[in-house]
Amino acid sequence: MFDTLDISASGLQAQRTRMDTIAANIANINSTRDADGKPNPFRRRFAVFASGLAARGADAAKPGVHVGQIKQDQSPFQERFQPGHPDADARGIVRYPNIDLSVEFVNALEASRAYEANITTMEVTKSMMNASLRLLA
Amino acid sequence: MFVERLMNQTNAPLVERVLQFAADRHRLIAENMANVDTPGYRQKDLSPAKFFAMLRDRAATRQTSAPGTVTYDDIPSDEDNPNDGILFHDQNNRSMEQLASEQAKNGLLYTMAIEILRKQFGQMEMALKERVS
Repeated sequence: MFDTLDISASGLQAQRTRMDTIAANIANINSTRDADGKPNPFRRRFAVFASGLAARGADAAKPGVHVGQIKQDQSPFQERFQPGHPDADARGIVRYPNIDLSVEFVNALEASRAYEANITTMEVTKSMMNASLRLLA
Repeated sequence: MFVERLMNQTNAPLVERVLQFAADRHRLIAENMANVDTPGYRQKDLSPAKFFAMLRDRAATRQTSAPGTVTYDDIPSDEDNPNDGILFHDQNNRSMEQLASEQAKNGLLYTMAIEILRKQFGQMEMALKERVS
């Protein structure tokens, strides 16, 4: 039963990482420059899950889930005509991140529901373990 | 040897096998829940119908076997990949409603088996102590 708790814990961790990427996307929805200050819009990130408790090593064969990679969405940036903007190009176009708030909110909702589902599974596991302990009483 | 034969004459071994099946199935359901967003993941499950059919057939042999000789440990719990439900665009055939419902049913089965086992052990304890408690 303890390994069942590990499986649910891996689900919690994976969904939390996914939520972190969603939060980063929402926070950078208007970031037109990179960390070095150069005009380079923030590119949307998303987490790709893979089955297995870990990516490599002995845990890779154990049941569970882990974040295989954080990929960048290659869809085109949004373009807005803002000739007065400091990051506008010669045509007056400013490139904004390829992030849609409604998509991020729906993904955040799904991640939180999946997180709750894993919590529920852990609660059921705990109640089953408590029931087993009552055999000793 | 004596204690083993004594235990095997009750329903305790059968109920223990049911417990083991419920624990194994719960592990698979937890894995399915954790991988609900994993692309290409196919849901895994154990078939309760097949398992209980095999258990019933084995329990029926008790009537023609010597007391305490029928065991249940070798009854398999075969894992399969159910194809019910919709296959989503990420090649995952998840169904949260199905998973939640099977998890609840399996949890109840486990709890019921524990209670039956407790009663069995309680009765044996009363018999051994020669005292009703």
